[in-house]
Amino acid sequence: MQLELQNIKKSFGEGDSRIEVLKDISLGIEKGEFVVLLGPSGSGKSTLLNIIGGIDNADSGKIIINGKLMSDMDEKALTAYRRDHLGYIFQMYNLIPNLTVRENIEVGAYLSKKPLNIDEIIDILGLTNHQNKVPSQLSGGQQQRCAIGRAIVKNPDILLCDEPTGALDYNTSKEILALIEQVNQKYGNTVIMVTHNDAIKNMADFVVKLRDGGIRKSYRNEEKIAAKELDW
Amino acid sequence: MKNPLKKRLLRDLRGDFGKYFVIFVLLVLSIGFVSGFLVAGESMIKAYNDSFDKYTIEDGNFRTEDKLTDSTKDRIERKDISIYENFYVEKAFDNDTTIRIYANREEIDKVCVMKGRLPEKKNEIAIDRMYADNNDLAPEDVITSDGTTYTIVGLVALSDYSALFYNNNDMMFDASAFGVAVVSKEQFDEYDSDLLRYNYSFLYHQKPKDDIEEKEVSEELMETISKKTSLENFIPRYLNQAINFTGDDIGSDKAMMEVLLCIIIIIVAFVFGITINNTIHKESCVIGTLRALGYTRGELIRHYMAMPLIVTIISAIIGNILGYTYFKNLCVDMYYGSYSLPTYVTVWSADAFLKTTIVPFIIMLVVTYFILRKKLMLSPLHLIRRNLSGEKRKAAVKLSSLIRFFDRFRIRILIQNKSSYIILFMGLFFANILLFFGMMLPPLLVHFQGIVTDTMLAKHTYLLQIPAGAVDDDNEISAALSYVVLRGKINTNNPDAEKISACSLKTIGEGGTKVEDVTLYGIQENSRYIDASFDDKTVLISSAYADKYGYGKDSVITLKEPYEDRYYGFKVTGVYDYDGAVAVFMSKKHLNDVMGLDEEFFSGFFSDTEITDIDSKYIGTVVDEESLTRVSRQLMISMGNLMYLVDGFSVIMFIVLIYLLSKLIIERNVQSISMVKILGYSKKEIAMLYIIPTAIVVIASFLISYPIVSCVMVQIFRMMLKQMMSGWMVIWLDPAAYVKMFILGVVTYAVVAVIEYRRIGRIPMSEALKNVE
Repeated sequence: MQLELQNIKKSFGEGDSRIEVLKDISLGIEKGEFVVLLGPSGSGKSTLLNIIGGIDNADSGKIIINGKLMSDMDEKALTAYRRDHLGYIFQMYNLIPNLTVRENIEVGAYLSKKPLNIDEIIDILGLTNHQNKVPSQLSGGQQQRCAIGRAIVKNPDILLCDEPTGALDYNTSKEILALIEQVNQKYGNTVIMVTHNDAIKNMADFVVKLRDGGIRKSYRNEEKIAAKELDW
Repeated sequence: MKNPLKKRLLRDLRGDFGKYFVIFVLLVLSIGFVSGFLVAGESMIKAYNDSFDKYTIEDGNFRTEDKLTDSTKDRIERKDISIYENFYVEKAFDNDTTIRIYANREEIDKVCVMKGRLPEKKNEIAIDRMYADNNDLAPEDVITSDGTTYTIVGLVALSDYSALFYNNNDMMFDASAFGVAVVSKEQFDEYDSDLLRYNYSFLYHQKPKDDIEEKEVSEELMETISKKTSLENFIPRYLNQAINFTGDDIGSDKAMMEVLLCIIIIIVAFVFGITINNTIHKESCVIGTLRALGYTRGELIRHYMAMPLIVTIISAIIGNILGYTYFKNLCVDMYYGSYSLPTYVTVWSADAFLKTTIVPFIIMLVVTYFILRKKLMLSPLHLIRRNLSGEKRKAAVKLSSLIRFFDRFRIRILIQNKSSYIILFMGLFFANILLFFGMMLPPLLVHFQGIVTDTMLAKHTYLLQIPAGAVDDDNEISAALSYVVLRGKINTNNPDAEKISACSLKTIGEGGTKVEDVTLYGIQENSRYIDASFDDKTVLISSAYADKYGYGKDSVITLKEPYEDRYYGFKVTGVYDYDGAVAVFMSKKHLNDVMGLDEEFFSGFFSDTEITDIDSKYIGTVVDEESLTRVSRQLMISMGNLMYLVDGFSVIMFIVLIYLLSKLIIERNVQSISMVKILGYSKKEIAMLYIIPTAIVVIASFLISYPIVSCVMVQIFRMMLKQMMSGWMVIWLDPAAYVKMFILGVVTYAVVAVIEYRRIGRIPMSEALKNVE
């Protein structure tokens, strides 16, 4: 097991206004799996992703990555963990406005001792003709591609995607999903994707449905389909 | 692989040029102006100090009624000194000024030629450079005296006249009405011997160790000379104001500049603080994302520190270049406007470099580092969500629906930006301190001019020049005899004249204050001039003395005999309302008793009319409206020039700060402005929403800060004046300064608002669609 979550709990607020956003979540993810955390708004899926990514803390429970307990890591070790093992894609692209597409991807490559070939990534992302443009010259889909490039260029063990298609239209969303799928297959990274789009579960190896902070259902998807065949 | 973030640096500079330019201007001006001042001061003081050896400045001079015979000269020289003739004539010129003319000096008190050449022929003259400046004279001009026309062939500085005191007892010099000059030997020999003043300069073969030894040696020498010839005047160097005044005075402006530097450093730290804070606000999503990707705090701190660091280094280099060239020249001109100094060589000032460059640089590093570190302690999630306070979101403040929608909107903007507005207030407060600093001094000086002339103790105060022998307590019989003889010559029939006993003692510099002269007046009973009754224990101090040192009834003051280890303690019994000088009043009998003098001894007069029946050679100092005006006028010249420089500098800094702060407010609201644009608000409506609240805060900040600034400035000025001046200026805040400051503030903000208005027009609507959660 590459990633194991045991009894993760998380709440916000105090007293009467205390809300439990994660209630005793436990699950295990294998290396190279495409995992979809599915649920409506407020179900706790983004919080869970952030805890896995080490940018938020659980109140209790254990997270074990490659046999290492995350709670044993101090701030420095957590940064190193993110640096060496994680790639992050957000709903908003958060690209650096005054760097070009290529340079934004280099920002990710800089963090890795053995980054992937930047030209190859740009080619896969379909950004060859846009590599010298700054983010403000790109469409939303192109900006998200760039953000994906920045996340995958360091060849992370785990790619965390927080609603990566949340701000995109249908066709662009499908292109982006296909791209993430392609990355998963080509480089063998584990992908954990948060979404509220029910259709996306069909392209996953492992589906975890969340509601009100708990796992309503989780299952291995035996009838996985390609991203380009998704419809919603 | 090189860190790709480095590629941002130049682009950041281009993208945020306005902000960095403002910081650049702020630093260049501060470093340039202050280092220029300090470098000029150090160069000048070095030129002054070096002039003693370079131009062989005398150890003293004396004037005799008749020319010394060779044998007398030889006998005096046996006291281990060398004597040099330094004769002069004084001539009134057609431009209503007096020039003291010397033959060119070759052995002692040598002349520094500033422009042109020394006179070689008859009817040629080289005049003092400062006197020439004040009277608009230049080489090749002609000046006339008693029908003789002289052609000015050079402008010079006489090394023993760096301050142009006509009389060593004068309270202040007047370089407009009095000057010095040299002529050729041929010209000098033509002067009528009746006009000649037999002045001799001397050099000790063995220099005295300190002032106390110099006093002993010089007094012994004076006695020797007075026994051998009729001595008219004797001025040892340590008492010669024309030589010493400049050295004492040059350093005093430094206190003002150091206070200014302190204010500037606080402002620079503040500006660095807010700009880096603003950068973090603007970039928080990017910073959060980079942190989530695995960038370490150290990498990001280094990245965000790089640009301020580069701008600071470039500013420091350019500031120092300007400091050593343009600003130094400006300040040097100011010194040359006050003193008749010889030529100078620019010196490297480690002190200036440390204070103007290293200290602000370290402050920039520390402030930027700590703010970045503090903000980057926030989790990546907080940064991505732009929750930079790290606090949970608070509920909205309830606003009555009775308030018009637009006003509620504005109030919301005020509440939402409250932290920015607090920063704006603080920035304006600092800017006003700086502005007040520049604006307050000139009127303070003018006011002081008024005070000294309006509150004179008498229209004329005469301090007599009592020959040393008459008060020599080592030889009481001889002293008594001399004094009896003298009394006949120093009495007056003027009915307005009232005898006083006066002497000058020094403060002891308690608490690190500047040692200064205090005049003690012994007042006769039922005085017409001092409205107070005195018994044997009454000791009144002037209100200026009380104000300066915080003394009052029952305070004990300790004063010291100059150049002697003799101390006097007085218990203050009251304060006499006199703001013109630091002075002590007691009965004549009391003062004479304290000083070990005869009960009837007097050494001056108060008189509302001029005393004309005492030979001028017995009158040392006359304090009248003219002499007091001369003091304040010279103060105006020597301090005023700097004042106006500080004033100009403060105004520029003020404008720069307001621009920067207002710009930051709009920057913080770019997304909201973009959003209301999308909603269909016009540019004018948006301006009303975002510029009016800022304008209200700006005006409120001005009004709130003025009383606070006034209190702070009074304290700063008290501290500064204590260090830099002898005597005391009662601190007076000119109401017109507030009006000027307010108008300047409003006009500056209006200009900035126009710039911001145009900027609002340029904010793209797409801004609201980017990076919004």
